[in-house]
Amino acid sequence: MDKSLKDGIAKNTIPLSEDVEFMKSQSPAILGVGRTKFGEHYEKDPESLIDEAGLQALDSAGVTRKDLDACYLSDYFLQVTNKIGLEEGFFSELLELHVPMEKTRSFSSALLNACHAIQAGKYDIVLVGGMEKMTDRWDKIRDDLMLLEDPWSYYAGCTPEANHDLLLKGYINKHKIKGEQLKKLYNALAQISVKNHQNATKNPFAQYTSPITIDTVTKARKSACKSLGLFDFAPVSDGASALILANPKMAKKCSNIPIYVLGSGSATDYITFPARENRTGFTANTLAMGDALNQSKIEVKDIQLAELYDQSTLLEMLSLEDLGFCEKGKAWLDIYKSYEDYKGFYEIGGKKLFVNLNGGLKADGNPLGATGGAQIFEIVKQLRGEADNRQIELNGEYPKLGLVSELEGFGTKAYIHILGRNTD
Amino acid sequence: MSSQPIERRVSYIGDRLRGSQCTICGKEYFRGKNYCGVCGRKSFGKMKDIDFFYEQGTLEISTVVKQPTNRFVKMGSYTYGIVAFHEGKTRVPGRLTDTLIDCEQQDITCFDGKTVVPRFRRRYTVGESDVIPTVSLAFSVEDGYYPHQKYEIHKPKKRYENPGIVGYGVYTSKFRIKEGKMERSVPFIDEDAVTAAVEAGKMALIHSGVNNELIGKIYVGSESNPYAVNPIASKVAQVLKLGKEEKTNFVQSIDAVDTEFACKAATSMFKDASALVCYPKSNIPFAMAIGADNSQSAPRNAIGGELDHFVGFGSAAFIFGMQDIIAEVEGWYSCTSDTPDFWRRDMQAYPRHGGRFTGKPAYFKHVQKACKTLMEQLNLTVKDVDYFVPHQPNPSFPIRVAKQLGFNEEQYLPGIKVTKFGNTYSGAAPIGLAAVLDVAKPDQRIVLTSYGSGAGSDAYSFLTTKQISEKRNRQKFTVNHQIENEHLEYVDYHTYRRLKQGL
Repeated sequence: MDKSLKDGIAKNTIPLSEDVEFMKSQSPAILGVGRTKFGEHYEKDPESLIDEAGLQALDSAGVTRKDLDACYLSDYFLQVTNKIGLEEGFFSELLELHVPMEKTRSFSSALLNACHAIQAGKYDIVLVGGMEKMTDRWDKIRDDLMLLEDPWSYYAGCTPEANHDLLLKGYINKHKIKGEQLKKLYNALAQISVKNHQNATKNPFAQYTSPITIDTVTKARKSACKSLGLFDFAPVSDGASALILANPKMAKKCSNIPIYVLGSGSATDYITFPARENRTGFTANTLAMGDALNQSKIEVKDIQLAELYDQSTLLEMLSLEDLGFCEKGKAWLDIYKSYEDYKGFYEIGGKKLFVNLNGGLKADGNPLGATGGAQIFEIVKQLRGEADNRQIELNGEYPKLGLVSELEGFGTKAYIHILGRNTD
Repeated sequence: MSSQPIERRVSYIGDRLRGSQCTICGKEYFRGKNYCGVCGRKSFGKMKDIDFFYEQGTLEISTVVKQPTNRFVKMGSYTYGIVAFHEGKTRVPGRLTDTLIDCEQQDITCFDGKTVVPRFRRRYTVGESDVIPTVSLAFSVEDGYYPHQKYEIHKPKKRYENPGIVGYGVYTSKFRIKEGKMERSVPFIDEDAVTAAVEAGKMALIHSGVNNELIGKIYVGSESNPYAVNPIASKVAQVLKLGKEEKTNFVQSIDAVDTEFACKAATSMFKDASALVCYPKSNIPFAMAIGADNSQSAPRNAIGGELDHFVGFGSAAFIFGMQDIIAEVEGWYSCTSDTPDFWRRDMQAYPRHGGRFTGKPAYFKHVQKACKTLMEQLNLTVKDVDYFVPHQPNPSFPIRVAKQLGFNEEQYLPGIKVTKFGNTYSGAAPIGLAAVLDVAKPDQRIVLTSYGSGAGSDAYSFLTTKQISEKRNRQKFTVNHQIENEHLEYVDYHTYRRLKQGL
């Protein structure tokens, strides 16, 4: 083993100066959020989508474009779908601003970078925005997605769905799930899809707002002769989302209820799925969660509201395990039991956990670069008590904490953000 | 749209499944790496090049892909999964090839846990004018048709006075179309003349035990090269690592060339290979000659469609040298005339032929002349010959010509395999020769007479040595193994045309 600078120094034992401690306590605050409806926006170009979401976010935060010190943008592959490579230039022209702008791949990544800049004291108010325009290249989108996700697997014939199949099979083999148990697992996965579609019926921005039944999911599986069918996977979507992030000092002047980013975490894993050590879940998710919990000094059991990255129904289930909500190999059973008498939330170890109240990626839509923004949008709305008929309450009040989990690729990158409102 | 520089880099790694191994801790990587993540800096300079080309793996987990990405659509449904080498030290993604999956079939798991062998195949569909991408992340289940065979290098024991065949290999696919008494080999959809040439070359290396680095020249004869310009031989040289590998420049120290003369493109080179290895200043101890074809034909009912009853798919490779030879080249004679009885114009997909004109003034005249002249030159009578192998474009011509020359069934039947594989064009007479070498005893004489439209014939006389029996057990994938095999899969006419058309 190479000698590392970190060798011999236990984690968190470096004495932090008071300044650093002070900065850490100053969590950046979300002042406002905005988003477009997700779906097939054939009439709109990517710029008009982000324009719409950005203006909404500015309006809801009560700030003007001239207040912005910087912008953090995200899109997964506009370079491929729309041959747009200098997003910052388009955005500069939209806003008529010359402030620093950077582009990342996912909304959570943009937010993380924005948080770092604000925590470092570089900027006071920034816009974080994400967009994607997948239907502009609908005919080649699966090749593009797969090639980006894992090129060597693509060369060997992998598809985006096949990797989920292998993950599911690996999970079933590892935990030796068979017979009646296996039927229950498949049923639990189908219920996830039904639940997310049900949640989306109350979300005016969702791509799909009609409810579905278990039958819909199982019929799609049967017609594909596969264990996961069309209704187990998130769709291809267009859309944009945005938020205004500010230094907490600014937040106090804001008329809205500020939502603080209490903890952020991110981690990575090998691009080649077969080369990974863990092939029955996402290690990056677990690591990012640990990091975010550590930063926010919050425990998993405190979180009762989560927006999870359900690229497939399987990933919603596995996320519950990877993030520590459920015991390994048991999430399907917790889900199955929750649905026996479903009340709108999962019941895990006697605790309520609300997951994907906006309909998740499955029904709300999954315009990659904008997806995380929609997840954060939902948590912000829930914490503020502005979620209309989707609003939940915990012990008679609006939730105080919410978690957002976003992935890039097939678990190649994981981001966790823990959001909370002031409870003073 | 494909990028040639990218495709070439992917092929360099993927065709051979190149990787690295740390010589300190043994950790393995698919794809080259200059250091090991466990051993860190001290592993610099201690990483060993490895590859998985001759290895066998285990398909650990798999799923059936029924809606492939665009570039894989022509493959139909296929099994995709994770293949582990060396008990899981290395894992790679892999597609099962050589399996036809019924679309209605449920999500089957029957391949999980099976032993699989990497196969060099076309990677996926690209534009008609693009470079054809290849990869060996295609695997076949070791089901008894295509066995896993190690490649072991044997130190040469004996040097001969004259050049001869040191080793050989034959490759035909596991798919067949059967019409009446005629069986023909059908390529799987990801195969072509290039992949067949590599397979035969691989088999020849395994059989000969010759060090791949010592092969100084490779000839590939074909009339179905998927490129009008771009050699098959360069691909074969790189995939099989023929000649010394110069790592700093990514080149192989070998001369590679493709040849073309209808069905005698490969046999014509036997004498060149033989002459080269015995020329003292050539510094080339071994030379390889391959005949490979995915024999082309217009569909039935179209002009030239008569060929569609006879065309096959296959290849044969021969390594020539002066050491450890199994059959000495005793003599040769060739004749040529401008007789265009079968041809394919540039830019045309399928060849045309001259009907009955292909018989008397073409095939029969040249085969008879070449064979007779050679035997006269060597003072041989029909009785001195143990086996006669003629070119075999259809079931009747070779038998008729053998009879005309005075040979009996015992002499010509062992070398006529056209009713098993079809006309494999450049591979036809060479496969016949291989079939005879598979059964010949020491000190027997084999007369080979090829024929190429256009037209010409090459006649050779070979004398087997004692070493022919010694080397026989090195090869499991014999001609007979490929004929009498319970794992052969028979396809209908429609599937045959689809598979033959390729990606």
